Amino acid sequence: MNPCLLCMKPISEVASWQSFFGIEKKKTLCDDCSKRFVRADIKEEGDVLDAVHSLYEYDEAMRDWLHQYKFLQDVALAQVFSNELRRAFSNKDTIVPIPMHPERARNRTFAHVETLLDGAKRPYVQLLTKTNTTVMGEKSRHERLNMGQLFELVPGAVVQPITYRLVDDIYTTGTTLRRAATVLKQAGAARVEAVTLIRSIQK
Amino acid sequence: MNKPFDPAVRDFLDGRIWLRQHTPFSVEKINEHIESGMVETTPGVKMKKGLFGQPSCKCVRCENVDPQLFTSFDCLQCEGPCAYCRNCLQMGRVSVCTELIVWKGPCTEYPTEHALAWEGTLTKRQKQASKELYESIVRARPHLIHAVCGSGKTEILFEPIHKLLLAGKRVCIAAPRVDVILELEPRLRAAFPSTKLEALYGGADVQAFDAQLILATTHQLYRFRHAFDAIFVDEADAFPYTAEKTLQHAVRKAAKPDAPIHFVTATPSDKLLTDIKKTGAVSTIYRRYHGHPLPGPRYESLWNYSKQLSKGKMPKALEKWIQQRLELSEPFLVFFHEIELMMKAEQAIRQLDDRIRAVHSAHPDRKQHVQDLRAGKIPGLLTTTILERGITIKNIQVAVVGAEQSLFDAGALVQIGGRVGRNVNHPSGDFVLFHNGISYAMDQARREIKRLNAGGDQP
Ligand SMILES: [Zn+2]
Ligand SMILES: [Zn+2]
Ligand SMILES: [Zn+2]
Repeated sequence: MNPCLLCMKPISEVASWQSFFGIEKKKTLCDDCSKRFVRADIKEEGDVLDAVHSLYEYDEAMRDWLHQYKFLQDVALAQVFSNELRRAFSNKDTIVPIPMHPERARNRTFAHVETLLDGAKRPYVQLLTKTNTTVMGEKSRHERLNMGQLFELVPGAVVQPITYRLVDDIYTTGTTLRRAATVLKQAGAARVEAVTLIRSIQK
Repeated sequence: MNKPFDPAVRDFLDGRIWLRQHTPFSVEKINEHIESGMVETTPGVKMKKGLFGQPSCKCVRCENVDPQLFTSFDCLQCEGPCAYCRNCLQMGRVSVCTELIVWKGPCTEYPTEHALAWEGTLTKRQKQASKELYESIVRARPHLIHAVCGSGKTEILFEPIHKLLLAGKRVCIAAPRVDVILELEPRLRAAFPSTKLEALYGGADVQAFDAQLILATTHQLYRFRHAFDAIFVDEADAFPYTAEKTLQHAVRKAAKPDAPIHFVTATPSDKLLTDIKKTGAVSTIYRRYHGHPLPGPRYESLWNYSKQLSKGKMPKALEKWIQQRLELSEPFLVFFHEIELMMKAEQAIRQLDDRIRAVHSAHPDRKQHVQDLRAGKIPGLLTTTILERGITIKNIQVAVVGAEQSLFDAGALVQIGGRVGRNVNHPSGDFVLFHNGISYAMDQARREIKRLNAGGDQP
């Protein structure tokens, strides 16, 4: 039996019919660790970005998870939310992950948003590339708003007049997602929605 | 023949195994030392194809080989299948394409002049144990100091450590828990004022590259390799040292190949006792340094405490006990088996005195709260088992809520009781086990304390 991905204690697992038929993946966390994560399901609507659904609030448990996943590069933690993330989409969705700059992705050794989707077993199309390497958090609000284009279309990408669903790990100011949505809409997307694992509430 | 090198690089790397990208030196400087052969590189994780094609991995830093503690992934760095070790992840991730470095040049020479400034005196039994320990050191065999809580275990180590330092040896005291290290650090700094000493735990950076005396959590030993002439493992039985085999490997690897590993504990596991008896020696101390017996546990029923506390209600007996401590101004610790219950209890208990606090392993202020308790700024602490050992507070009174819980095995209860009556002016105190039914472990702990007080006759 695999240990809990966060505290390494053995997981006591009661077989459910979901796990029996292989519909749900095996538990990755023990009960104590999974209790720390509370679903928030924050949904908002806008214009450039037609709708955003964030699954969890940014709290202590999420901060720790994100730190271990992204900065300690613990790829295994992508499995923690794979069931939840998979259920946030339907089979008909066209999913577009927010890309990382290739150089940054190489340094991290994995692209964290794509790895989350891989874990959730949701196929995606990579329509966007990142044009610079700056990190949003390092910029002031003023700089962020006045930055040049952040994303462009992958050469040869075809955008259709349908709904696209962008995916990112965390929604903070929404700038990243709105810029990505703008690029898709200018290229002919009918509607752009977004799903983020975490919503950071600005205080 | 004598190639030049930077002594700082030598001092830092000698005895360590380190991530190539994360040293305190510039990339160029490390590259130069690699080119001149002073520093050697090795892949962080060695991956082999197993008999049936499945990969098997070994982490070169922590020596983990448990397949459950490796994760394979498609790596964008090495552009292929890669794997990393989850066991030592907190010290910076090590994967197949990560490079580790070790020192290959001439060794650091450590000073041979050291003062021992401790002015206390050892009891006859302590002196005897200290002598026996030193004899084992000379004979390069492992030694176990099996001494009851409050018998002055650390002081027994002073003289043998001093002799090692005088011989220019590098010495490590390792403990599984950071609290033990935090408690030891000031005492050792005071005892060895002229020795370069460093305490390593958590995310602390290495400051004194060539520290000759190192205090470290056992986790930190992952980053050492063939460094120490002697290692003393304090509270050897504490979680997670006994729980994790790789940590034992880490201790072994941190010591030089022929260097013995010594253990100091009040509650050795049966395995440790039998292992040591095969190849080494044991010194046993049944009396506390002040000569008074260990306080035995008192049982008091606290029926349905879990339900009551969860509803925010204070069980009567617990309330009365805390009230008494507050009235008598006696510092106290209340142990809980789980954080959640403790947090619920905290709200109810703080109605009695709002200065009371709760601490657990992830609590950001735990160090401060313990200091405040010691300084008399707060009357008492609620705690998980993190404070079960290593902590010494004058006149402390101790209660365990839910002593029947399986987390409280006999060893843990003996350790918890060992907090009481350590001071010569306050050699006794209350040690109460609040329970919802008496467990076998509670009786075992009571018997063990009786046995120790009787002079350690076989049970
Ligand atoms: Zn867990
Ligand atoms: Zn490792
Ligand atoms: Zn790699």
